[in-house]
Amino acid sequence: MDYYTAFAISGSGMAVEKLRLDVTAVNIANANSSRGADGTLYRPLRVVTSMRVDPRFEDALRAYGVPLGGVQVDEIRPTDAPPRVLYEPGHPDADDRGYVTVPGINPVTEMVSLMVATRSYQANVVALNAAKFMAQRALEIGGTR
Amino acid sequence: MSISEIAGVGFLPSQSLEAIESRAQAATQTAAQADFSSWLGSGIDKVNEQVLAADKQVRDLALGRTQNLHEVMIALEEAKLSLSLMVQIRNRALEAYQDILKMQI
Repeated sequence: MDYYTAFAISGSGMAVEKLRLDVTAVNIANANSSRGADGTLYRPLRVVTSMRVDPRFEDALRAYGVPLGGVQVDEIRPTDAPPRVLYEPGHPDADDRGYVTVPGINPVTEMVSLMVATRSYQANVVALNAAKFMAQRALEIGGTR
Repeated sequence: MSISEIAGVGFLPSQSLEAIESRAQAATQTAAQADFSSWLGSGIDKVNEQVLAADKQVRDLALGRTQNLHEVMIALEEAKLSLSLMVQIRNRALEAYQDILKMQI
C-alpha cells in the first residue's frame, strides 16, 4: 500500500461525510414541507454506507488476506419516522378538520447527524494528514536539511 | 645469463588504454541511458503530470466545476509529495556527484 492509497481511502470517507451533511441539510430544509416531490409526504433520508473493496488495493488484499478499501454509499433511504400533525386551519394543505401533516423530522436528531458528519470528516482529514506526515518523515531519511 | 623481457607489472592489462576507455564510455552510456536516466526522466514526467493535474483541478475549482473540495486538496498534496520526493532524489544525486568531484586522484 503506498501513500496515495491512504489518501484515496480517506478521500472516500470525506466524500461520504460530505454527502451525509448534504442529506441532513435536505432533511432540515424540508422539516416543514407539507408536500413531497412526487405528491407523497417527504420522509427524512438517511445515508447507508458499506465498505468498498477497491480494485486498486488488490495487491494489499493479496498480501494480507483481508479486503481493504474505502467506503461507498449503498443508498439514500427514507426512514419510517411517523409524520407530525399540526393544527393550522388556514393552511392550503390542511384537511377538513384543519390539520396539516409535515414530515417527522426531529431537529435534535438532525443536529446530531450534522455534528457526527462534521467530526467524521475531521477524523478523515486527520488520518490523511497522518499519512502525509509519515511520507514527509520518510523523505527526511538520510537528509541533512 | 639472459635478461628476460620485463612484462607488465599488472597495473595495466595488455590492451591499449584507448580501447578500455572507449569501451567503458560506451558501457556507461548505454547502461545509463537504459536504466538511471530513463528511470529519472520517466519519474520527472510523472511528477510533472501530477502537478499539471493538480493545476487543472485548481482551475476547475475556480471555475466552479468541482464537486468536492477535498479532492482538489488531495491532488495538491499528492503533487507536493511527489515533488518533494523528486527534490530529495535530486539532492542525493547532486551529493553523489559532488562527492565524486571532490575525490582526490
